[in-house]
Amino acid sequence: MRYEVALGDRLLQVELDGSGRFLVDDRVVALDVVEIDRGRHWSVTLDGGSHEIVALAPDRLLVDGIAIPVTVTDERALAAGRSGGGVRSQRRELRAPMPGLLKAVHVREGDIVDAGAALATLEAMKMENELRAPLRSRVVSVAASAGAKVEGGALLMILSETE
Amino acid sequence: MAVYSDIDRGALHVRLADEAYPIGAATPAESYLNIERLVAVATRSGCGAVHPGYGFLAENADFAEAVASAGLVFVGPPAAVQRALGEKTAARRLAREAGVPVAEGSEPLAGVKAARSAAERIGYPIVLKPAGGGGGKGMRIVRSDAELADAWRGATGEAESAFGTSALFLERYLDRARHIEVQLLADRQGAVVWLGERDCSIQRRHQKLVEETPGPSVDEALRARLGAAAVAIARAARYENAGTAEFLVDRSGAFVFLEMNTRLQVEHPITEAVTGVDLVALQLRIAAGAPLPFAQGEIERSGAAIELRVTAEDPFAGFLPAGGRIGTLRMPSGPGVRVDHALESGTLVPTEYDPLLAKLVVWGGDRPAALARARRALRELAIAGVPTSLPFHRHLLDDPGFVAGDYDTGYVAERWTGREMARLDDGAAVAAAYVAAALLREPRVARGPVTNGVASAWARAAHEEALR
Repeated sequence: MRYEVALGDRLLQVELDGSGRFLVDDRVVALDVVEIDRGRHWSVTLDGGSHEIVALAPDRLLVDGIAIPVTVTDERALAAGRSGGGVRSQRRELRAPMPGLLKAVHVREGDIVDAGAALATLEAMKMENELRAPLRSRVVSVAASAGAKVEGGALLMILSETE
Repeated sequence: MAVYSDIDRGALHVRLADEAYPIGAATPAESYLNIERLVAVATRSGCGAVHPGYGFLAENADFAEAVASAGLVFVGPPAAVQRALGEKTAARRLAREAGVPVAEGSEPLAGVKAARSAAERIGYPIVLKPAGGGGGKGMRIVRSDAELADAWRGATGEAESAFGTSALFLERYLDRARHIEVQLLADRQGAVVWLGERDCSIQRRHQKLVEETPGPSVDEALRARLGAAAVAIARAARYENAGTAEFLVDRSGAFVFLEMNTRLQVEHPITEAVTGVDLVALQLRIAAGAPLPFAQGEIERSGAAIELRVTAEDPFAGFLPAGGRIGTLRMPSGPGVRVDHALESGTLVPTEYDPLLAKLVVWGGDRPAALARARRALRELAIAGVPTSLPFHRHLLDDPGFVAGDYDTGYVAERWTGREMARLDDGAAVAAAYVAAALLREPRVARGPVTNGVASAWARAAHEEALR
């Protein structure tokens, strides 16, 4: 299977074949891999270089002490992505970035807000966080009200980009 | 003897204590901020003294009073001293009367209208601050009239939840200033000493991320002036026990008093590292009535120390905090390296409390040696399962401006864009690409670090965002 691996701002085309060979840009790379802790922690040596990798989160690896965002796409997904086209919605969802108490909602349905306007106040980890409009937008709907305890990722409101 | 909220039942301090008592639900107001319950438990346990730590009720005069009234020793300044310094506008007056400069500012404000007229009198930019307590909570910098109403709303809410009172005052805001504080110790016989300064200018949300001593911008003359000012305030307040006087220092070396922290500071270990003084042990001795074991002239400082506050925050997302369960964990070690933490693999980081995970404290014979050792220690440190501030710390220690000691309180806002991505060398990138591809091929394994716990909500949200 071929994969496209994005590591920070680097993109690598790699291949893991059935016999366990690892190829980078169609060239076989001789790696020695020891899994220190299954699925979490690896030691990789190649060409005398010793590298340590820790899975920090599903989308972040710690590589030789450097935390780096990672996304992997296999060839099937790449193919599907291409045929799916690039349709992008103008609608933006405002979601709670973390679990907390929704202290206040500063807008109502139908309001037009400028970029940077305070939309809601979320209290979490002893701090109040103002959630702000990323762009000049219209508030399409409000899905949560002040006083509610919300989970991380909970939908708070839907915005649509406006002139 | 330890106390714990429901969510902390499995915490390290509970297991290591000789005795441990539950004090209520995870919500701070029901447990760690519940004075009545804490004093009742302290009395029932038969303990002789209460150390308030450095969060929650550590600067609460009512708590100090309740502890004393129950016939127990409070490890810290008495309630009357805390009241005199805890109300920040009163502390400003006290400093002024002791001959220490303060920034132009207001008394507590009745409302946003009063704030507006005070701000017009003093001139923007101003900073709104809770009168009821310090530590950066509830502070808002306001650069123009248009920002005032928003800032007022946020600051009052945060002040109310942090200090139980929403009272605010304002001060002229000093741009390009350094936040420098002086460690004090005062015994009950009236002796006061100071143990050098700490530069705490590297902050986000007005809360410290990195502290170092000696301050790279502080020369002997400025150090002596700051020390004398801190001692003058302590004497005027009839201070007892450990405390910290905080100042803002401008590029010319002129300074104003900010506030007095009437407790042990989070960053006290860097002072311990350069002086060899165990501040907590001295707190206990002073509380027991013993005189200070040394005079000012006997305090020697050697080398340089830096503290990196490792927090459960994503520096690539505005230092947004997130809870989660700790996966892989490795702490650095070696001479001059101290890590204060209570983490283990599997520890749940709750969202109810402050996101501080660990304090990495590194000492070296001089500043370059301390920074080199800190870089090495950071390389050893690994914490999986929650986002951490570590990428920021790593960037900071490699930044030529910071290495030259050239920084102020604007550093994070101006010099950290949240997009600084360290680049992997070719070998590291190939190794990482192998692991990433292998993880995708075996998704059951890929979810390993997080399925046994609570995935970081932020990481999940970011992941979903990326998938859309």
